[in-house]
Amino acid sequence: MGQIQLTGLTKRFGDTVAVDDLSLDIDDEEFLVLVGPSGCGKSTTLRMLAGLETPTSGDIYIGGDHMNYRVPQNRDIAMVFQDYALYPHMTVRQNIRFGLEEEEGYTSAERDERVVEVAETLGIADLLDRKPDELSGGQQQRVALGRAIVRDPEVFLMDEPLSNLDAKLRAEMRTELQNLQDQLAVTTVYVTHNQTEAMTMADRIAVMDGGELQQVASPFECYHEPNNLFVAEFIGEPMINLVRGTRSETAFVGEHFSYPLDADVMESVGDREDLVLGIRPEDIAVVDATTDDTPADDAALGDHELRMDVTVVEPHGDQNVLHLSHPDQPSADDALQAVTEGMHLVTRGDRVTVTIPPDKIHVFDAETGTAVHNRRHDQEADRTQLEQ
Amino acid sequence: MSQPSSTGSFDVASLVEDVNLRRVAQYALVVFFLGFFLVPLETGIMTAIKTNESVARSLPFAPPVGEGFTLGNIQFALEQLSGSFFNSLIMSIPATIGSVLFGSMAAYGLTMVNWRAQMGMLMLFVVGVFVPYQAVLVPLARFWNNIFPLARMLEPMVASIPFFQGYHAELVPLVITHIAYGIPICTILFRSYYQSLPNSLVEAGKIDGASITKIYRRVILPISKPMFGVVFIYQFTQIYNEFLFAFTLVTGSDAPAAPVTLVLPAIGASTSGIDFGIRMSAAFLAAVPTLILYVAFAEQFAKGLRTEA
Repeated sequence: MGQIQLTGLTKRFGDTVAVDDLSLDIDDEEFLVLVGPSGCGKSTTLRMLAGLETPTSGDIYIGGDHMNYRVPQNRDIAMVFQDYALYPHMTVRQNIRFGLEEEEGYTSAERDERVVEVAETLGIADLLDRKPDELSGGQQQRVALGRAIVRDPEVFLMDEPLSNLDAKLRAEMRTELQNLQDQLAVTTVYVTHNQTEAMTMADRIAVMDGGELQQVASPFECYHEPNNLFVAEFIGEPMINLVRGTRSETAFVGEHFSYPLDADVMESVGDREDLVLGIRPEDIAVVDATTDDTPADDAALGDHELRMDVTVVEPHGDQNVLHLSHPDQPSADDALQAVTEGMHLVTRGDRVTVTIPPDKIHVFDAETGTAVHNRRHDQEADRTQLEQ
Repeated sequence: MSQPSSTGSFDVASLVEDVNLRRVAQYALVVFFLGFFLVPLETGIMTAIKTNESVARSLPFAPPVGEGFTLGNIQFALEQLSGSFFNSLIMSIPATIGSVLFGSMAAYGLTMVNWRAQMGMLMLFVVGVFVPYQAVLVPLARFWNNIFPLARMLEPMVASIPFFQGYHAELVPLVITHIAYGIPICTILFRSYYQSLPNSLVEAGKIDGASITKIYRRVILPISKPMFGVVFIYQFTQIYNEFLFAFTLVTGSDAPAAPVTLVLPAIGASTSGIDFGIRMSAAFLAAVPTLILYVAFAEQFAKGLRTEA
């Protein structure tokens, strides 16, 4: 069985702590994505799992067995490297076969058969007699996968396997990898710095920063219920809007505006003074303020409305990303980013009314970064809505 | 051809357009150095194929004319050298293979395998490169002659091998000495190459369950082929041309086990003076094996230099 347990895993390189007291349970057949910025310790964690690095302290269990002192071969794992690490002097066949040679219980003929079988699964059967340098990036990627699959391991470890491919191929391979993992029903730990890969492929995402685990949750939860500022900022494109400010009696007070907070939010804020208000760009409603039926002056605005200027419009076709700034602070950095529908046409320089719905806001403690309040949502209801 | 012939519209001025003093000086320098390096070579070859009389009468670099031409010098030199050629080759080839192979293994162990005290060990290798030959000559001679007379021990065994004589056993200590002395520099050369290889190759091998020796044998050794070309040529030339160790351990040009470098200075010298024709012939013949090696490994050599840079 391929369930993995990491308890108190720590790795130090001299004085630097690469991984700090990481505890994580990964279920059998789960697709877990380790994600974080470079240098966050995700690769080191993977390498410790693989047996390429020895943990400074802590324990690794795979399938319930203690793994700390086992060589990679005896861990029943396979790894795909970022640069594929194909042996350049061997043909594809020899590359895939190499891992099988040390495996017991095969006759030579069975090994050859197994190689062909794996190659057929991956659609590279006709490339078996070529050398790696005669293959395209995508084909090399498949060979690297083949080398991992051939030994039929309990756990796949993947270290940014798609980062060397072009965008189109990457999207293709993403789906293919998911299908493959589904087919083979193998526990997979996948390391990436790309949050799109993390969101689209993972059963669960483990977000890491500075060697510490920030959150382990489904993509849905990581997006809508981030544990802290780091997770909120890391997941989501364009990035979540964060406004720093303080708390007054009933409202959040930022540099340019104040935003009334509901009673239950105030309750969870407690006596914290410095806050960060977060709102996802797609949750911001933007209405053109130049039309006649909008109130002329600021006083007439609703509680959760703001008057802002559009400084930049990025059309994406299906959506537009608007950069908004405050009318009295035109030179200041873009205060907010909003995503509107692709057909919702706004031009640069327009004055708009921005509505921040109170049920969609996140509130974070500015000092510790922990989430104090996350957007309200009824998960079941949201899910059925998505399915419709 | 309907077009006017090119000579008709040829613009002579375009030829001289680029000519300036700088360019003229550049070419003059090139021609000068070409001559500087080629004339001695040409003189040597010409001397080798001239009779003694012709050498004495004609200019050194002039080609032989009529009666002055002879292949006798080369023939004589070849006869004189044939035994020592054999000695040189059976000494240099194992010594080169040995030092290159051990050097590559040591470099692999020092760069691609992790263990404690690696740096200290590497320092020892670096120091090994700088130990001067002269400093070890006396201990070396004492060791192989008095403390561990390997040559004498092996003599009966070597004598029983076909084509070999008992005295060839004298070359065994020389081979071992050359291997020992060659390992440090070979290690350093291979190390720089292995450092440029991606570490993931070794890691992939580990994941695939290969042992450290298997990774070396099946992955690293085949990949380092171009580097082997470079180091092999370098090391062979070094060992083949080496004089001091051979002189110390084999002692003298008249010893039957003497390699080419020991015999060469004695050829063509006699009480009646130096026979330049024979001497030049011998010198060129002695250089032939290294030339053959360069030609044979030229492709690998170029590839190796490219990958290293």
